[in-house]
Amino acid sequence: MLDPFTLSLVAICVLALLGLPIGHAMIASSILYLWMAGLDMGTAAEQILNGLYSGYLLLAVPMFILAAEIMNAGTMTERLLHFCNAVVGRFRGGLAQVNVLQSLIFAGMSGSAIADAAGTGRMMQKLMTKDDKYPASYAAALTAATAVIGPIIPPSIPLVIYALVSDASIGFLFIAGIVPGFLLAVGLMGVVAIDARRKNFPVEEPVPLRKLPGLTFRALPALMLPVVLLVGIRGGVMTPTEAAGVAAGYALLISVVIYRSVTLSQFYSALLNSGRTTASIGMLLAGAMVFNYVVTVENIPNALSAMLTATDLTPTQFLILVNILLLLLGCVLEGTTILLVIVPVLIPTAQALGIDMVHFGVMAVLNIMLGLITPPYGLLLFIMTRIAEVPLRDIVRDVMPFLFVMFGALAIVTFVPDAVLLLPRLLGYQG
Amino acid sequence: MLERMRPLAGWLYRRGENLIVIMIGVMFAAFLLQVIFRYVLNWPTGWSNELTVVLWIWIVLFGAAFIVREEEEIRFDLVYGAVPPRVRRAMALLSAAALIGLYAYSFPAVYDYVTFMKVQKTAYLKIRFDWLFSIYVIFVIAVIARYLWIAWDALTASTSEGFDPTKASSGV
Repeated sequence: MLDPFTLSLVAICVLALLGLPIGHAMIASSILYLWMAGLDMGTAAEQILNGLYSGYLLLAVPMFILAAEIMNAGTMTERLLHFCNAVVGRFRGGLAQVNVLQSLIFAGMSGSAIADAAGTGRMMQKLMTKDDKYPASYAAALTAATAVIGPIIPPSIPLVIYALVSDASIGFLFIAGIVPGFLLAVGLMGVVAIDARRKNFPVEEPVPLRKLPGLTFRALPALMLPVVLLVGIRGGVMTPTEAAGVAAGYALLISVVIYRSVTLSQFYSALLNSGRTTASIGMLLAGAMVFNYVVTVENIPNALSAMLTATDLTPTQFLILVNILLLLLGCVLEGTTILLVIVPVLIPTAQALGIDMVHFGVMAVLNIMLGLITPPYGLLLFIMTRIAEVPLRDIVRDVMPFLFVMFGALAIVTFVPDAVLLLPRLLGYQG
Repeated sequence: MLERMRPLAGWLYRRGENLIVIMIGVMFAAFLLQVIFRYVLNWPTGWSNELTVVLWIWIVLFGAAFIVREEEEIRFDLVYGAVPPRVRRAMALLSAAALIGLYAYSFPAVYDYVTFMKVQKTAYLKIRFDWLFSIYVIFVIAVIARYLWIAWDALTASTSEGFDPTKASSGV
């Protein structure tokens, strides 16, 4: 007879394999655990309700999604694309470079890779494949790769979730994401530049430089959002949760007042979509809350920490192992699930080995986001297959060079903590 | 009988959507007011803090129970999406049975916990916790009902939709 914990682990795997939503699979298996261990089954309700009630930080999730929805509804996206085109369109492979630059800028607003791919990604795909400028599969692969930058650069929903499970400061996590985000962008731009020469990609009609100040000015309100957020959070003007609300408010304000572009019905569907996504992510959070309770009752994270520290593992070896583990899991599991269930188990060991929690968080999130474009099971690849209407294997072939440089960025983030922690330390982070 | 209920169900679903929109909208407004009140008017904002948390619980549980569509659920779809419809129906039936069994078996304990919470009230708005948490009881009942329907659907195989991975998950 299996002990209750093993039984509940088996139950989660079986139920998830059978296709039950992962949140429900975790709740059901935790109930099974409580039952078998002879504990009060009302604990499941208690953990979920109290977890949601005290998880104030999580309220940032619906608000960041709302901000992205509002921006995708208005013409803010278009203006920013004009701006990007004026800056990098003049180079060979101009539109492809625009794709990278826009993701860097939009990353400062949405905090969700899926929202980026479905919103601005869809638009980039259309632009790049118009008049057969770029092969559809190349455009799709690039769009999937650039969408990854979104949740690395602040604001970032995955970093909010990591802050919740690790108690690391969300403000410093956000700031720590900036350098890795730029690393990704520079790497991708490098690949695009090489491809552009090799495959002779078209140049966009150059926008006269004298028009650049005007275009910058028109895009400025949108460009300023990340600055407003970071200054607000770091300056103590608002909590990160409030900042998410302010981001949505700011997006609404400039869309309606300055750009005059969001209609009432668009606002309604932005609210509704935010509610839908919130509920389906919230279910996952709820499941993780009960299941993490079970894991804690069984003392798994500390047992693992004791076991691993006893083997004289160096921090570097541990980080390599974590990266491999997360990449393998990323091939089969959805990112939020890994962040909520697997990462908390690893945190005590990381702490025992003296690894900085902010560094660990940025590394873990970057790794999990790369899982979104790593074949065979990458959600962003699936989404782009659908948007671009090209076979998955063509996108997979074209995404490989991008993936390669992005793994390079992951290696830098893993082995050079100072690169990640540079900006936070400049702003007063003691770590 | 079932056919005649379809327009009613659609009507109820749209009202449910309205409710979610109102809740997200109020939460949004509360965040903005909170920042404005604190810095511009220097008023205490504990109540709005609490209001947003209350709305958050209701949005998640109400939304998960009534609004999120099957294809929007976050699931592990590598196997589920690859098998033929007949196998998928068998899988749906099995997992629904397990879920219904466990949720139903734990229901009395859940009900006890929620009703027991009547002894406490929230700090600012003085909402009794059993009222606040009652959405969980509603959630469990709705989920059981939903999976009874899914199981019935799998048995009778009235719908056999194709699988669409882009709608499969709504991760971040």
